[in-house]
Amino acid sequence: MDQIIITLVLISLGYFFGRHAEKKHYRHIIEREELMNALPAMASRFPPVGEKFEQTLVSGNVVIANDYFKTFAAGLRNLFGGKVSSYETLLDRARREAVLRMKEEAQALQADYVFNVKYETTSISKGKNNRLPMIEVFAYGTALKKITP
Amino acid sequence: MYSNPKLPEGINTSKEHPLKEFSILLIGALALIVIVTFALGFFGSYLAGKIPYSAELKIASLYDPPDNNDSSKSEQALHAYLQQLADKIARAEHLPEAMKITVHYLDGDTVNAFATLGGNIILYRGLLEKLSTENALSMLLAHEIAHVKYRHPIKSLGRGVAAGIAIAAITGSTHSNALGETGLLTTLHYSRKMEQQSDEEAMRVLYKLYGHINGGAQLFKEFQKMREQQDLGESPALFSSHPLDQQRIDNFKRMATLNQWKTTGELTPLPDFFSIKKTEE
Repeated sequence: MDQIIITLVLISLGYFFGRHAEKKHYRHIIEREELMNALPAMASRFPPVGEKFEQTLVSGNVVIANDYFKTFAAGLRNLFGGKVSSYETLLDRARREAVLRMKEEAQALQADYVFNVKYETTSISKGKNNRLPMIEVFAYGTALKKITP
Repeated sequence: MYSNPKLPEGINTSKEHPLKEFSILLIGALALIVIVTFALGFFGSYLAGKIPYSAELKIASLYDPPDNNDSSKSEQALHAYLQQLADKIARAEHLPEAMKITVHYLDGDTVNAFATLGGNIILYRGLLEKLSTENALSMLLAHEIAHVKYRHPIKSLGRGVAAGIAIAAITGSTHSNALGETGLLTTLHYSRKMEQQSDEEAMRVLYKLYGHINGGAQLFKEFQKMREQQDLGESPALFSSHPLDQQRIDNFKRMATLNQWKTTGELTPLPDFFSIKKTEE
């Protein structure tokens, strides 16, 4: 009985705090993405032709943990299979945040573009039971700054 | 030349409210647990019914039967009388040779009696002193012996063990002792169907022994009276394993008319020493 009460409290705490934090994070992400739009990040490996650039490796890294509510919901999902929608926002936020941090670094270098952008996603809590899932997303690319002759 | 378009929100995430998905999953999971537990309990009960009686005796021997250590002379006489009556009823119920009924008399106020593993039948003074005739006592004993005859204790245990294992597997708890700590000492829960089966068998035996079933319903009436006194009210039929007292009385009457059993007849009084205990108090 005690265990059920503890679980219920953890789930509701996870729901309210997790949802609040997520909404806040999304607002923050959308705001910064609009500002950073002036600095395009491209997946292409080939820099624009006919121009010379100063090239610097830039990266952005973020670690996000899941809340108890979402982990519980995903655990229930395990029984039936299907789309694990409770993890979608976690990964979405992590990827976007990592790119934003990378772009911020590029901006500080006064770069014009970031090329060859790639992601690495790692599960930090991988294989450990009784631990909330935690993911790390690492975004990196080559910042290009035009060399004016 | 190079630009990042502003992507619309909600491409990579679901718009559905998380609580909606959560409640559907939770209801589904709970339904699954209930179905699995019931199904396992059912098969556990079925398989336990196949356990030979000799194996049941071995399980029962793991637990100490509850007995009064310091029994007085009158109590010994009472115990002998109860045992002899139980043996007579066991013969009337055609119990197999190996199924020995052992009666345990407990000096407690609890208004209860129950049958458990290994043919052990536990009777409390609280219930016995409420019965005024041998007919009512025979009805009680025949009911409990019928539980043993139909292997209800081991079936009930099998169901409990299987359901317990299912719950332990789902919740991941490893502390549970499958057989339970007090398997023999506590009342096993019998389904309403089991209770009815035992009631009917008891009535058949009552008729066989006395030629009428007069006095048999006193047992149920005592239970009904007790519950009224306690003012607890009967729990709804769905949650109660013993058929509601009134229902049992009705069932008693229905069975009597169905089989054309005589409901009137001479009542056999209880032996004198039976009431000694009461006056001593």
